[in-house]
Amino acid sequence: MDRVRARDADAFEALYDQYHRLVYGVAFRVLSDAAAAEDVTQAVFLRIWSAPELFRDGNFGAWVARIARNRAYDIVRSRNLHPQSELPETLPVEDAVDETVIANMSGERVRLALEQLPPEQREPIELGFFGGVTHDQIARTTGLPLGTIKTRIRTGLRRLRAALQETVTV
Amino acid sequence: MTPHDELLDSVAAYALGVLPPSEAAGVEAHLQTCAQCQAEYRELRPAVTAVAYSAEACADPTAGAVAASPLLKARIMRRVRAEAASRPSSRRYSPAYALAAACLAIAIITGLMDLSLSRRLNRELAQSAAQTQTIADLTAADSRRYHFSDGMVVMRADRVYLMMHDMHAPPPGHVYQAWTLAHGAKRMAPSMTFAPGNGGVAFVRLPESATNIAAIAVSVEPDGGSLQPTTKPIAVVRI
Ligand SMILES: [Zn+2]
Repeated sequence: MDRVRARDADAFEALYDQYHRLVYGVAFRVLSDAAAAEDVTQAVFLRIWSAPELFRDGNFGAWVARIARNRAYDIVRSRNLHPQSELPETLPVEDAVDETVIANMSGERVRLALEQLPPEQREPIELGFFGGVTHDQIARTTGLPLGTIKTRIRTGLRRLRAALQETVTV
Repeated sequence: MTPHDELLDSVAAYALGVLPPSEAAGVEAHLQTCAQCQAEYRELRPAVTAVAYSAEACADPTAGAVAASPLLKARIMRRVRAEAASRPSSRRYSPAYALAAACLAIAIITGLMDLSLSRRLNRELAQSAAQTQTIADLTAADSRRYHFSDGMVVMRADRVYLMMHDMHAPPPGHVYQAWTLAHGAKRMAPSMTFAPGNGGVAFVRLPESATNIAAIAVSVEPDGGSLQPTTKPIAVVRI
């Protein structure tokens, strides 16, 4: 990333090769539209190139995934769907060790870990993260109380985290 | 379940980014003050990153999963290489960089060493401060700054900027309205109406000239604004 900051195009290309599947994949899951996902991917990477200082520290993959989701949601919002909070792009100090654990994850391994979650936890997590719906919309469609949805999201995220830590240490 | 357990659940929903903006702002504020929720947030964030990674497109397009077209990379790299060639190693003073610098300067000036708030400010500024003039005014050594409890007025030459944070959304059917008092005047004159963004931050340039302003006030008024204040001002700044 330091080399990208120094306007090194080769370093930028390496960054693109490593992360474009993540950026494109997140945008595609949110938008279900290949052309729009490519637009997001292009916007995200050109932004990184023109303003690399936006990335401060922590894990790059974790950061760029949040940017990708936020930009995809900009498009969702412009299509006039429901408003939803952005993921913090600069907020608190990362838990560096855990982020490294995640960085070593391939999409494949995370998908397996997610599949291990009970559906009633996995669904609100996936719907919430990619589906452009807020927790109260999930509650309305499932007929469950808001509090229950949030508890399931929290339990599911904790299990996912634990599952991933195991995968790494084994 | 205790009320705080409910908050911890909300922190999880916040980390996943599924709270409506108003509720997210509440959780963000609570996170500033609660160590337990901060710890929960730090623990859950990697799991949220993992959820994002689950969407990572397959390296092998023949596996059937989605993948970006190689043409996309060619398109992006063409632009990047063209720019890199035209600006060898010299650091570009990008608008985004100037904006970040301005926000940092404002955060320091206002004593807001609060990342979350300066991030929200950043967003407001990004929308209204597209012009370098604004950024230059805000950060210039010769600009005059007047603090009040939840904000600041910045003046430079004849330009006046009003910045407020920690604002509630106005009641339905209402807006915030700025008022200016000219030197020697007895009554406040109506200035522009505005509303804070999602983060409770407002940043506006007032249309009046800075040269003849003795005081600025802000009050809540019905939509469309009023000719004179109808509620007690929430802020008054003497210049
Ligand atoms: Zn708490």
